[in-house]
Amino acid sequence: MFRVLVAAAFFVLGQSAAYAAELDAPKIVGKVIDGFVRPAYHGFHQATSQLSTDVKALCSAPSGAALATARKAFGGTVDAWSKAEIIRFGPVTEQNRLDRILFWPDRKSIGLKQVQAAIQSKDETAADPAQLAAKSVAMQGLGALEFVLFGTDADTLAGTDGAYRCSFGASIAINLDTMASELEQAWNAPDGFAGTWAKPGANNPLYRNNDEAVGELFDVFVTGLEMDRDVRLGGFLGKMTAAEDKPKQALFWRSEKTVDSVAGNLAGMKALFEISGLGDALSDEMRWIENSINFEFANAARAAAGSEGPLTEVLADPQRRGRLSYFSVVTSSLSELFGKRLAGELGLTSGFSSLDGD
Amino acid sequence: MRTPLIDRRDFLKASGAAFAASLAPAAWAKTLDADAVFATAYQRRDGSYGAAVLSEAGKLLHQVDLPDRGHDVTFDPVSGRSVVFARQPGTFFVAFDHTGKAEPQTIASLPDRHFFGHGVFSPDGALLYATENDFDNAAGMVGIYDARDGFRRLGEFPTHGVGPHELLLLDDGRTLAIANGGIETHPDFGRAEMNLSTMKPSLVFVDRVSGDLIESHELPPTLHQLSIRHMDTDATGAVWFGCQHRGPATETPSLVGKAERGKELQLLDMPEDVLGGFRNYIGSVAANRDAGTVAVSSPQGNTFAVFEAASGRIVSDQSLREVCGLAPDHAGFRATTGTGEILDPAGGTVEEADYVWDNHLLRIG
Repeated sequence: MFRVLVAAAFFVLGQSAAYAAELDAPKIVGKVIDGFVRPAYHGFHQATSQLSTDVKALCSAPSGAALATARKAFGGTVDAWSKAEIIRFGPVTEQNRLDRILFWPDRKSIGLKQVQAAIQSKDETAADPAQLAAKSVAMQGLGALEFVLFGTDADTLAGTDGAYRCSFGASIAINLDTMASELEQAWNAPDGFAGTWAKPGANNPLYRNNDEAVGELFDVFVTGLEMDRDVRLGGFLGKMTAAEDKPKQALFWRSEKTVDSVAGNLAGMKALFEISGLGDALSDEMRWIENSINFEFANAARAAAGSEGPLTEVLADPQRRGRLSYFSVVTSSLSELFGKRLAGELGLTSGFSSLDGD
Repeated sequence: MRTPLIDRRDFLKASGAAFAASLAPAAWAKTLDADAVFATAYQRRDGSYGAAVLSEAGKLLHQVDLPDRGHDVTFDPVSGRSVVFARQPGTFFVAFDHTGKAEPQTIASLPDRHFFGHGVFSPDGALLYATENDFDNAAGMVGIYDARDGFRRLGEFPTHGVGPHELLLLDDGRTLAIANGGIETHPDFGRAEMNLSTMKPSLVFVDRVSGDLIESHELPPTLHQLSIRHMDTDATGAVWFGCQHRGPATETPSLVGKAERGKELQLLDMPEDVLGGFRNYIGSVAANRDAGTVAVSSPQGNTFAVFEAASGRIVSDQSLREVCGLAPDHAGFRATTGTGEILDPAGGTVEEADYVWDNHLLRIG
C-alpha cells in the first residue's frame, strides 16, 4: 500500500507552489507547538512519572494488586507515547531518544535477549538508570519494560522472587521518565527547537522558508500514516490472508496494546490536524478535503474500537480482523487525502518523506 | 509491457516527413539509437510508473511500463540494452532495448532477496551485477546475472555491509565500488530503518570476478549515521560519494567525500550555506570527466551544486524544486526533477507534460 502513498505524493510535485506563500507558517507552527506538541510531551512525562512511581511501589511492596497497577501505568504510558511519537523530529532525534524510548521493530529480538540475559544474571548495572541509559537502546525503553512487566515469568513480580526483575523494571521506568522530562523541557524552552521551527527564515539553519516549516508538519501525517500502515500493521497483518498473520511480530502484543498504539497515533494526527488549522487554509470549494479527512479519522477510530482484545484472538475472529484490515485501508485513504489532495491544494511538496529516503 | 514509442510529430518536424516515411524499420531503429542520450525512471501523472529514453532535446524516444516505482537505469553499450531496477524494496528489474529490436524482459528477485534500485553491466555486457538485500540475515549482496542467457541468476557475493545502494564499475573493468548505506530494512516492515543507533556504513571495493573484498572504508565512529548512498568516478579514477545523514537535523556533517584505493576516505568541506542547502540529504552524484567537475543534488533541499574535482571549489549552487537526477552534459550537467523539469547546462528547461522524473538520470549516448 506504500506505493499508493508514493504515487499520491509524487503527483503533487508538479503543482504550483503559489498557495504556499499564503500559508502563515509561524502562526500554524505556533498553534501546533502550543496546542499539540507541548501538551503531548507533557502528557508523556506525566505518564512516565506515574509509571516510575508505580513500578517503584511494586518493588518496595510486591503484590498482585501492585503489579496490576504498574501494568496499568505501562498502558497509560503507551497511550501517551502513541500521541507524542508522531513527532519524529526535533529533540526526540537527539541522543538516539527515539530508539531508546521504543526500539522497534526488533526483528532479531535483540531487546528480548538482552533483557532476559540481564534478568538471568541479575545485572546490577542494568538496574541503575544512569548506567542503563548508556547501554543498548534495545534494553532501556518501552519494549524492554513490556517484557519485564508482561513477559515470561512476569508474575514473579507479585512476590519477592521478582526483586531483581522489578529493580530492572524500575530502572527502565526512571530512564523513560528522565527522557520524557528532557523532551518536555527541550520543547518548552522558548529559545530551543520550538523557536527554530516557528520562525523560518533565510538565516534559520533548519527551516529556510515557510514551505520547509509547514512541510515538517505535513511530513508528520505522510510519515505517520505510512508507518502505521506498512510497519506497525503491515508487520503482523497478512497482506492477502489470515494464514500470513504474524501476531508475535506485532508491537506491544504482550501488553495487548497493539491496536491502542496505532489508534493513538491516528488520534494524535487527528488532534494535530484540527489544531494546525490547515483545513482553514482551504478555499470554500475545497473544504471537502478537510471533511473527508475528519470522516476517515472517525472511521479509523471506530474500526480500532471494534478490534479490541488479545491480538491472537482478534486475528482469529474474522469480524475483528476485518476491522483491522479496514483500518489499514483507511490509512491509505488518509495518505491520499494528505499527500495528494491537501498537499496539492496548499502547494506543498511531500514527495520525499523521511521513510522515503533512497 | 511495452508501450509505443516516440512523439512522432516531433520526429517528423525534426527530420522531414518524407524522410521518416521512407525509413525501413532497421533505419528507424538506427535513428532512434543515434538520438538516444539519456535514460531515467519516471512516474506519470496518473500514478503509473515506467522508464524512458530521452533525446538530447529532452524528448521521449522510448518508454517501458513498470509494475511499480523504478529507480536507477544501467546501460550496456555492447547489446544496446538498458536495465531499470525497482526501487527498494522492489523485487524486479526490466531489461529493454530502446530501438525496439527485442521485447522487454522482466526478471524477479529471489524470494529471500530484494533489489536496492542499482546495478551495473560488466564491460563485455555478459554479466549484470545488482545490489540486493539478504533481508533475513541483514546482509548486503551483489547478485550476478547472465545477460546473454535471459538474465539467469548465476550467484552472488557479499557486499561486506548492510543496506548496499549504488554500485559502480571502476575503469579497470574489474573492481566494483559499492556503497553500503548501513541501514537495515526488512520487507516485513516496509521501509522502516531498524538500526539507526548502531548503523555503520562503508564504501567497499570488491573484485567482481572473484567476489573478494579488496578494501573496506569506513567513516569515523562519530559519523556512523552518515549513510553512504550514491557515487560516481572522476577522471582520475577517484570515487566521489554522497551521503544522507540519519542523525538529528541540528547536526550538519559533510555530505560529500572521496574514496581512493589505499587512502583514507576524505570528506569535502563545503561552505556552510551550500551544505545547509542540502538538508542532510544527497540524492545523486554525477561526475563530468571532461570538465573535471562533480555535481551533487538534494531533492530535500531543492538544490544542486557543482564543484571542481581537483580543488573541491564550488562552481555553482542552484535552486531547483525537487531536483535529483544528474548526468554530465557537454561542459556541465543535465538535471531532472520530481516536478517534471529537464534542465540543460545552458539553463534552458523542457518538460514532458505527463511525466515527472525519478531520482536518477543516466547518460547512455
